[in-house]
Amino acid sequence: MAVIGVGRFIQKRQDFEDSIARSYQVEMTARVRIAEGQGGGAARREVPKQVAYREQLRDNISGDTRDTAILVAAGLIAGLTGALLLFSGLIASLRRPLEALVDAAGRLAAGDLSARVEVGGLSETATLGAAFNEMADQLQAEASQREQLDRLKDEFVLTASHELRSPLTSVQGFAELLMMERETLTPKQVETVEIILDNCRHLVRLINDLLDLARSDAGRLAVKMRPTELAPLIDEVVRTLRAQTEGSNQLLEEDLETGIPTVSVEPDRIRQILVNLITNAHEYSPEGANIGVKARVIGDEVEVSVSDDGPGIPENQLDHIFERFVRGDAGLTQRVGGTGLGLAISKSLVELHGGSIEVDSTPGEGSTFRFRLPLRPAAEGLAAPATADASS
Amino acid sequence: MTMVLIADDSETILLLMRTRLELAGYEVTTAADGQEVIDRVAEREPDVMLLDAMMPRKSGIDALRELRAAGHRIPTLIVSAHQNPDDADAPSGLEIDGFVTKPIDFDRLLAEVATLTGA
Repeated sequence: MAVIGVGRFIQKRQDFEDSIARSYQVEMTARVRIAEGQGGGAARREVPKQVAYREQLRDNISGDTRDTAILVAAGLIAGLTGALLLFSGLIASLRRPLEALVDAAGRLAAGDLSARVEVGGLSETATLGAAFNEMADQLQAEASQREQLDRLKDEFVLTASHELRSPLTSVQGFAELLMMERETLTPKQVETVEIILDNCRHLVRLINDLLDLARSDAGRLAVKMRPTELAPLIDEVVRTLRAQTEGSNQLLEEDLETGIPTVSVEPDRIRQILVNLITNAHEYSPEGANIGVKARVIGDEVEVSVSDDGPGIPENQLDHIFERFVRGDAGLTQRVGGTGLGLAISKSLVELHGGSIEVDSTPGEGSTFRFRLPLRPAAEGLAAPATADASS
Repeated sequence: MTMVLIADDSETILLLMRTRLELAGYEVTTAADGQEVIDRVAEREPDVMLLDAMMPRKSGIDALRELRAAGHRIPTLIVSAHQNPDDADAPSGLEIDGFVTKPIDFDRLLAEVATLTGA
């Protein structure tokens, strides 16, 4: 419509130009005749007549221009509206599947592996939807496979630890029986039995550590907290381990602040952490080393530290010391009976109590391991330090 | 003489426990599974029982459940190869007097038996 209007307008414009030109020509002819003195009244009247005629022509054409401009504008608006309507239809048919995709991707990312989209609509979005579903299928299959593997691993570790304990019970038990008759044994035999017993204890530790680690991985390493006096517990561990440290002429001293409030912990687990830390200090330090166990209250936490003046830990190993199967150099070069799991488990256990563990070490001067436990721990089993703060 | 009934499906462990308990002055009778536990109790009621939690055919837990249901109140320790009593899925209400984990700490075991028999 606008195009026709514009075409007509161009034609009119052409006619207008022609008419104006003709009018000037007529006027000029009239003026020439007047100048030559032959025009008379008719020629004299012709001049204003042509001027008026051109005026009239100009008025007409400007009206047409306005009309045409309006027409063009209207046409443009109509065209744009049409295009917009067309686009909005297109956008709507794109938007819904895309929104569904975004929603499903969000659910997938949040862990809902059953998230799928309806495949349909425009071929582009249908292809996208089908690709998304295929990816989700694959993710779900992989996840279920991983879960199955994890379950198998857990079951295996649990079964293996169970099955290993029975023969170990016999080996350790009969070796102990032999030691009950040590006066009938030669010194060489006594030494042999002691080696058997040492290795039994090492195996038990390894089995227990592996079991703890498997539980930790499966998220089933839990602590059963109950109100506990820390000082007697630490004292008991120190006294038990003194037999070992004295064997190496090491001095094991404790410095426990008086009046440490009752803490909510699982005593066996705190004992396990302490045994790990003190045994490490003992095994990695030379004969005659000093080992110190300290406990004190700092703010709303109680800090327990185990220090030694042994060889220390090289800086490049400090960052990884709490990772599993990471052992200090001494553990690899000397005959240290660790498993490389003790610190990893200790860290998990401290964190389950809502606490933290750290190490300071200077090569050649010694190491200090510190763990802190909240005095007001979180609710049972949910070791969240934030909750502990809120309740205090 | 105080009599202890021990049950375990491993012969060597039975021999080990019997030796340690006899050395400590107890009279010992043994069972290789849960059914034998029930049979021994029927023959003569022991003063204390040490039952392995997991045994073929009938477990120590199942045998204890039957004995408790029949009204037997014999003090009982459950011996388990599980590090943690939770894993032995021991149900409550069986009046279990304690758990002993393998490898057995005999000093602790003998102390508990002594406590249970009032010796």
